[in-house]
Amino acid sequence: MKCNCIEVEPVASVAASDLRLPMGLLGFERMKDYLLIANPAEEPFGWLQVKGDTSLAFVVLNPFLIVPDYSPDIPQADVEFLGLSDAQDAMLLNIVTVHKQGQATLNLKGPIVINRHTGVGKQVVIANATDYSVQHPLLVSEAAA
Amino acid sequence: MLILSRKTSESIVIDGRIHVKIVRVEGEVVKIGIEAPADVPVHRHEVYEEIQRNNQQALVRPAAPLPKLVAPKKTTAAISTAPLLKTAKP
Repeated sequence: MKCNCIEVEPVASVAASDLRLPMGLLGFERMKDYLLIANPAEEPFGWLQVKGDTSLAFVVLNPFLIVPDYSPDIPQADVEFLGLSDAQDAMLLNIVTVHKQGQATLNLKGPIVINRHTGVGKQVVIANATDYSVQHPLLVSEAAA
Repeated sequence: MLILSRKTSESIVIDGRIHVKIVRVEGEVVKIGIEAPADVPVHRHEVYEEIQRNNQQALVRPAAPLPKLVAPKKTTAAISTAPLLKTAKP
């Protein structure tokens, strides 16, 4: 059977998973449900899309890719809130800000800490926030866009 | 807002478990000592505000182009989604 339509290549393994932030993000306390989208074509960036509003999203990045010795001090209350018993249970995603002129920065003061097993996360204000920048510059290639 | 007057080395108690003590006053700077249980996070208010402002600035529309990142090394996986991601469309 033939159809008169354009054949579209299926998007290669775009993975998405539900993520719940019961406390929201700072400044966005009401938005609690997100979709974490990882498109291999956009690596190493991922999207944290607000569920129910596809026009709202945050760009996220694995912070260790940028700062290999990143050592955020997660307050005990947050560890308990997330039910983390081992460092291996946690996944860290930090929010990227894309500025004008194609510059980008990474927020190292407030990582989103996620329990891999429950899919529940929280934007944590790290206890050693003074050691890190809220706008850590990302090296962006000149050829961008 | 409850406003209390305190002298140096005097303190207040909140909820019977959080002690806030005026340690020193140097001109316009007040040094405050806080004793709280481990489950009570204490932060400078500016840090909250800073992260809040940054979040508002970071909110984007998915159609926006992503910057081309110069990755330092090819060792680390970008975003390790392994056990977290349940649905992967082939």
